[in-house]
Amino acid sequence: MRAERRAGWLLSAPYAAFLLAFSAYPIVFALALVMMHWDLVTRPSFAGADNLTLLAQDARFWQAVGNTFVFLAIHVPLQIVTALVLALALNRPMWLRAFWRAAFFLPVVISGAVVAILWNALYATDVGLINAVLARVGVGPVPWLTDPLIAMPAIAIMVTWKNVGFYVIIYLAGLQYVPKSCQEAIELEGASAWQRFRHLTLPLLLPQTVLVVTLSTINGFQLFIEPYVMTGGGPLRRTFSVVLYMYTNAFSYQKMGYAATIGVALAVIIGAVVAIQRRLIGQAEAM
Amino acid sequence: MPSVTFDHVTKRFNDVTIVEDFNLQVADGELLVLVGGSGSGKSTILRLVAGLEAVTSGTIRLGDTDITERAPRDRDVAMVFQDYALYPHLSVRENLSLGLRIRRVPKEEVSRRVAWAVDMLGLTELLDRKPKQLSGGQRQRVAMGRAMVREPSAFLFDEPLSNLDAGLRAQMRMEIGALQRRLHTTTIYVTHDQVEAMTLGDRIVVLSSGRVQQIGKPIDLYRAPANRFVAGFIGSPPMNFIEGALEHADEMTWFVSDGMRIALAGVSAAGLTRREVTLGIRPDDLRMTFPSSGTAVEDGSIRGRVELVERLGGSSHMHVHAGSLHILAVVTALELPAVDDVIDLLILPQRVHVFAPDGQAIAIQG
Repeated sequence: MRAERRAGWLLSAPYAAFLLAFSAYPIVFALALVMMHWDLVTRPSFAGADNLTLLAQDARFWQAVGNTFVFLAIHVPLQIVTALVLALALNRPMWLRAFWRAAFFLPVVISGAVVAILWNALYATDVGLINAVLARVGVGPVPWLTDPLIAMPAIAIMVTWKNVGFYVIIYLAGLQYVPKSCQEAIELEGASAWQRFRHLTLPLLLPQTVLVVTLSTINGFQLFIEPYVMTGGGPLRRTFSVVLYMYTNAFSYQKMGYAATIGVALAVIIGAVVAIQRRLIGQAEAM
Repeated sequence: MPSVTFDHVTKRFNDVTIVEDFNLQVADGELLVLVGGSGSGKSTILRLVAGLEAVTSGTIRLGDTDITERAPRDRDVAMVFQDYALYPHLSVRENLSLGLRIRRVPKEEVSRRVAWAVDMLGLTELLDRKPKQLSGGQRQRVAMGRAMVREPSAFLFDEPLSNLDAGLRAQMRMEIGALQRRLHTTTIYVTHDQVEAMTLGDRIVVLSSGRVQQIGKPIDLYRAPANRFVAGFIGSPPMNFIEGALEHADEMTWFVSDGMRIALAGVSAAGLTRREVTLGIRPDDLRMTFPSSGTAVEDGSIRGRVELVERLGGSSHMHVHAGSLHILAVVTALELPAVDDVIDLLILPQRVHVFAPDGQAIAIQG
């Protein structure tokens, strides 16, 4: 019994150490930093509520929050629709199905910075491939990353493209659990393809949709690498995300205490938004 | 209610023939049972009627209408699935009404039909429950209700009782039978269980490897099986088969096998020298006697050693070893032999069946 206990401790020790060092310690440290001034060079000094007061009054922070919500408002619905449509398509028997499934997953495993650089080229106003194609049909040129109103939607489209493969897998897994007999039953009852989707497939994919909404929201709030690489937060700070603003405070202005305060605030916002989403979805499910 | 007619229906999947040249008319209001083992093609035939599989050749008609090429939704048939196929996210009420709402049946009519089905099936208390909150029997009733509210031209049942335990299965079997007689809807019922087939069917179609073995009333299949497959499939416990030969001697035809012979009335063996056949005798058609020691076994009896006695209460199953033969007899005697006792089993000669080497039955009466 004692040997078993020792083995248990031993086996869980590496992960426990990892968790303590890279999750628990940073969380505690960040919480402590909220009440500190620290420039990474001199000794940290006690700041009291200075950082929180600053946060409440900081228009740039609240603009970053607003920008991030704009991003989410475009990204999350777009992510659900694209992932669902692709999953339905890839669930059918088709030529080279395994290849297509892998192809759509590929961007997920490519580095975000690489994708951002690639899309910078695609989005280029004068020489980009997207505008070249649009010009063929008489549209454009669209100033993708240089127009204050278009830049954030453009980034949202790109992030959706990058992550769609991951959510397709979630939906594909869900589709395997739609009983074949139920599909046949509803077909015999007279349902068209759209009615079969509307009355059977979509409701049965609700757990997957909850997961996609939650994960894409959490990921979306952490938007950073794309605006950092592609726009630097511009034009007119319209693509300045919360995490980009946090990063700028930490490593451009050396305000670690304030950066930590932004980070904690972001965690609270994410928690609140996801809780509200879950409640709304729960109500929809009960109806 | 229209009839369902199969005209030279064949179903092949790649090179494998699942159903071969199936011809049948299911009469208006009839309950027809398709019975067979796995791979017999019985479920495929049902799915061909539903339109869930396409026929390779031949036609299927509902009444006078050729439905062979129609989409499932345009066929006016309702199916009860083996796993019930209830929509897991919908309440009983919604499960019953969804199909009608999809077909844009007016609201009052939907309510009327749902109320009618719910009343008939005793589901009133369960209307707001989800399928996972129902027992197996209740789910089965909801599945039937969903088929009923459609008021279809034909019901298709695909092994509807195979997921229920034995007691419930017997009860639901009676309920389905009663319901079908009441609604008088043309019904095709698929099962692998010969007891279900015998008790439910107006007629039974016995299938094996995609081919019809015999079509007839349950009692006719039991009394006069057309071949050895049907003889072995219908009836429980199954028929005993004894390999042997027909011989002509003393102006009579005899079935002769290892250590036994029995005179068969009605089989003309004149001119026949010797013919390999199989004798079939049902376990219920054997009578047990205790031989006095030293006597030889009489004609028409099998002498053997008792291997196992299974007491079922009212009757008992006796497993008897006789030379190379293994014979099962159902006896109702109160006084049962012990294991290793020697007994005689008297064959009722008017109840035997004779099968040619190709499995076809040889008529022995008249």
